Amino acid sequence: MKRMLMLGLTLVMVASLLAACGGGNNSQSSPANQADGKQKKVSIALWTLSGSGWEWVVEAVEQFQNENPDIEVVHSSYAVDPMKENLKVAASSKTMPDIWFTWGGSLGSFYPENGLALDLSEIAEEHNYAEVYNKAALDMSTFNGKLYGIPMRLNALSMWYTKEAYEATNLQPPATFAEFEEQLEILKNAGYIPLAFGSKGGWHTMRLAELLIEHYGGPELHDQLLSLSASWDNEAVIQTFAKLKEYTDKEYFPKGYVSLDPEEAQNLMYQKKAAIINEGTWFDSSIITSGFDVNDFGVFKFPTEQSPVRPSVFAEMLQISADASPEKQAAAIKLGEYLTSVEVINQFVDVYGSPATLNVNTSEANPHMKEILDSASDGAFQIMDQALPQQLIQKWFEAQDRVALGDWTPQQAAQEMDKAVQEYVSKNSQ
Amino acid sequence: MFTKVKPWLYLLPALIIYLTVICFPSLYSLYLSFFEWNGVAPDRKFVGLDNYVYLFTKDTVFPTALSNNLQWMLGSLVLMMGLGLALALMLNKRLKGRTWFRGIFYFPYVLSGIVVAMVWTWMYNPTQGFFNKVLELVGLESWTQAWLAEPKFALYAVFLAALWQGVGQPLVLFIAGLSSIPDDPYEAAFIDGASKFQSFYYITLPLLRETFVIVVATTMIGAMKVYDIVYAMTGGGPAESTQVLSSLMYYQTFRYANIGIGSAISWVLVLIVMIVLIPYVYYTTKRSHV
Repeated sequence: MKRMLMLGLTLVMVASLLAACGGGNNSQSSPANQADGKQKKVSIALWTLSGSGWEWVVEAVEQFQNENPDIEVVHSSYAVDPMKENLKVAASSKTMPDIWFTWGGSLGSFYPENGLALDLSEIAEEHNYAEVYNKAALDMSTFNGKLYGIPMRLNALSMWYTKEAYEATNLQPPATFAEFEEQLEILKNAGYIPLAFGSKGGWHTMRLAELLIEHYGGPELHDQLLSLSASWDNEAVIQTFAKLKEYTDKEYFPKGYVSLDPEEAQNLMYQKKAAIINEGTWFDSSIITSGFDVNDFGVFKFPTEQSPVRPSVFAEMLQISADASPEKQAAAIKLGEYLTSVEVINQFVDVYGSPATLNVNTSEANPHMKEILDSASDGAFQIMDQALPQQLIQKWFEAQDRVALGDWTPQQAAQEMDKAVQEYVSKNSQ
Repeated sequence: MFTKVKPWLYLLPALIIYLTVICFPSLYSLYLSFFEWNGVAPDRKFVGLDNYVYLFTKDTVFPTALSNNLQWMLGSLVLMMGLGLALALMLNKRLKGRTWFRGIFYFPYVLSGIVVAMVWTWMYNPTQGFFNKVLELVGLESWTQAWLAEPKFALYAVFLAALWQGVGQPLVLFIAGLSSIPDDPYEAAFIDGASKFQSFYYITLPLLRETFVIVVATTMIGAMKVYDIVYAMTGGGPAESTQVLSSLMYYQTFRYANIGIGSAISWVLVLIVMIVLIPYVYYTTKRSHV
């Protein structure tokens, strides 16, 4: 009897374990779906960035849920690099959220290329996106002729400087590249860190490097390099690496910048220890949310001495899961359109950044945004870490570091970069 | 009949979990290591051993990561285990505040690796960090460094942070081992005129053999799978100089979507641990008096 009881208990345990391992669709057991027994509540998962400039999303989501009691939003937020990686983890484990933030170019195209993002072309036509969103933002959210994201922000980058450093050294924003370099020396001699860049992760210093490529190579060659249709082993790339090395040796960057977090570089600007940084249209709101005064900072176009003077730009969007149920997709689209609506943007205009939505108010708290966006009106290039495939951009980051540390000469770095590009092209053309 | 089956029934729940959560995914990753695949696309290309060949012949970062792991393992076995044993010997004595000290030394081990990384990254900050400020205060300004930015220091700087955090684990295990050794052999040795070192060498070390098996195994495995502290402190930089196999595996798999190469790295990791650990555990347990 005792044995039978133990056997029975064991079988129950095994059965319950197997049931637990079964998994599958849990939509029936979700408390959200049982709301009040009358109305079915749709629960959707939203992933956005976290940190300064993204606090408003929490409040906006709360409002959305109040206005749409039949939709529950489970919001998760991540820092920049973890966001990129978590999306890839979710993609390969088939656990994508229903709606997620991503960037344009090679970062965002991975999901439509692999059938994970919903084609929004029809929705865009029905909801007249052409009248709602900026055309450039729509173009940057389009892959292979189809719209795969609700455009959220269209960012342009610029050189930012601390007025205190420029006033203390009687400088005006530089008009030529030679003037820019003279200023770096003057600022250094005045005790400022001329260039606040942090190379941990690679992408921050890359922003200066791509401007140097634009300066030395010009728009045409720069675009060809980004589309992998020109050799990276060329004079413009070599000069860019040589200049990075020169700036490193002259100590224009913060000490140990190759392992410095970009946020630590920003802190040097806030503390007025550094003079120049490359940030984007979001930086006004970053300054505000960090508790500093935006009027202490100014912006200038990097003097590439090319025509037109192009800044780098990138788009941010919300993609919808192609695998979600139609109800969830509809709810996610509703949420995406809500978060990019004129009403929500106007409500959070001081901290929203540069919206991709048309006809929104401009914020007096963001005095530099319009100037930066206007700087892209004559032309712009896509930021390098979105224009290049991820393997290649990692090679670029490695090359930047190796040149700075003296492991590679600028020529070697250009050759290594070109070798990586050729390998990538030959592998992907097979 | 039922008596024979009963132990297996008790084992079954854990066995099912083990097979489902550990064995199947491990074997599946071995299978994936023979393919070129981005983890999502419906088609996978079978490439045989190409991913392994690529790692050992073409990948420029893999040799650095492998070497870093081996250095980390050596450092852990010598320093982390040595320090853990030394602290355990001290804290096993009947001294005042012993429990308090044990808590203090064990405390970093309960912290998350990311928290430890943040604290130490700030301490290493080249301009405002603790280490450089102290060096400046004592007049050793020329010794100040960008600790995490110099490839020749970066890995060791990260290892020091890991050592501070990780020493609590061998410490606790050694204290447990020391507590189980009776006083009699020491008393006998004392009467026979043995020195303190002789007592340690001929009594303590042999009687800690089982503890050493556990500590060496866990330290070695921990060293080979080190990831979070490297990721948070340097991200594998500068110039990939602090990459370890786990971080490289993670980047290959989830940043560049090279599932095959990422899986191959994970199996290289497994093989290295097995090659070192299995003979060690086999040899030591064979010699064990238990």
